[in-house]
Amino acid sequence: MFPTLKTGAVMQYPAKRTLQFNTDAIRFLDGTEQRFRDNPSVLHRWTIQLDLLDESELAALDEFFVSNQGRFGSFSFTDPWDGTTYPNCSLGADTFGFQLRGEMRGKTTLIVCENRT
Amino acid sequence: MFYFPQLSSGATGQFPITRQRSARTVVNQSWQGYQVKLADPGAAITDWHLSFAEMSDQELAALEALFQAVEGRLTPFTFLDPADNLLAWSEQQSQAVWQAGPLLTLTGGVTDPMGGTAAYQVSNPTAATLTLQQSINAPASLDYCLSVYARSDQSTQVWLVRGSATEAQAIGPVWTRLTSAGQLQDTADSISFGIALDPGATVDIFGIQAEAQTAASLYKQTAETGGVYPNARFRDDALTITTVGPSRHSCELDIVNVEYL
Repeated sequence: MFPTLKTGAVMQYPAKRTLQFNTDAIRFLDGTEQRFRDNPSVLHRWTIQLDLLDESELAALDEFFVSNQGRFGSFSFTDPWDGTTYPNCSLGADTFGFQLRGEMRGKTTLIVCENRT
Repeated sequence: MFYFPQLSSGATGQFPITRQRSARTVVNQSWQGYQVKLADPGAAITDWHLSFAEMSDQELAALEALFQAVEGRLTPFTFLDPADNLLAWSEQQSQAVWQAGPLLTLTGGVTDPMGGTAAYQVSNPTAATLTLQQSINAPASLDYCLSVYARSDQSTQVWLVRGSATEAQAIGPVWTRLTSAGQLQDTADSISFGIALDPGATVDIFGIQAEAQTAASLYKQTAETGGVYPNARFRDDALTITTVGPSRHSCELDIVNVEYL
């Protein structure tokens, strides 16, 4: 499970969610088009920007990144917009960094991607 | 043994501190969006960007001495992460990195002060004092702070073990964070941290943490690796120092830990 903050929240504002389809379009000489879907369904992607985290919250996220080995691992993620749980998600990048500007002033960004199942 | 020096305050770094971990995953993606992934744990990299301001002549001399001794990025040294708990498996005292005295009983799944069940109950049924400790490969001469949450149904005491220093602290039925900090006159290349229990004592413990500084920061959970990096190097062959007055130096540097080097 993706770690939650001490408030119980997963994300902070500004929160970003992306819906991704994959459509192929073939355009013919007469200008008409034929479109078809490459992927069977939409995929979700969440950009989680977090600020003013304390060291414990950062450590939990860091531990989560290490245990997942970056993009390799998979986990379930609950969309904070509608409460839907997506059972097969991964981190979107092989890097995880944070900046500590002072005590309880940590800042980081994570991307969570839904995997095709 | 080369190691990154502490400032005169006992701290290893100043704010802001930036740390980045990088993994390597080989991904084969099909046209339909399905993915086959392969992890490459040996390629993991951790790097830190550290900024130092208002360093004294002595602090700068220690940093320069290390930089010259390791010849820039050539030779590795031990780096103690200023933003991490130095102990591995901080919530799993049953792991092999923890050395428990014979007959010391450990029971996991106990309610912890954070609302979870990651605490351990430790009992000493013998007639001798027994220890639960972990040794790290870091110089014993540095400033360290050991902290642990502890409670007991009876009023008793727990010994905090910080290298050759032991310190008894009283506990009761309420979770209390105990700390033991200081510097030892010890030139060993390793140091142990843990607790010791008097004969017959039963204590609940949680969140054991060691840090290379003089006071405890918020508890940070760790798994198989703690914040000790014995294979760290300077990222660059150049170290630039800015001096704005007598004994007022500043510099920025990058440290990288690469497991496969």
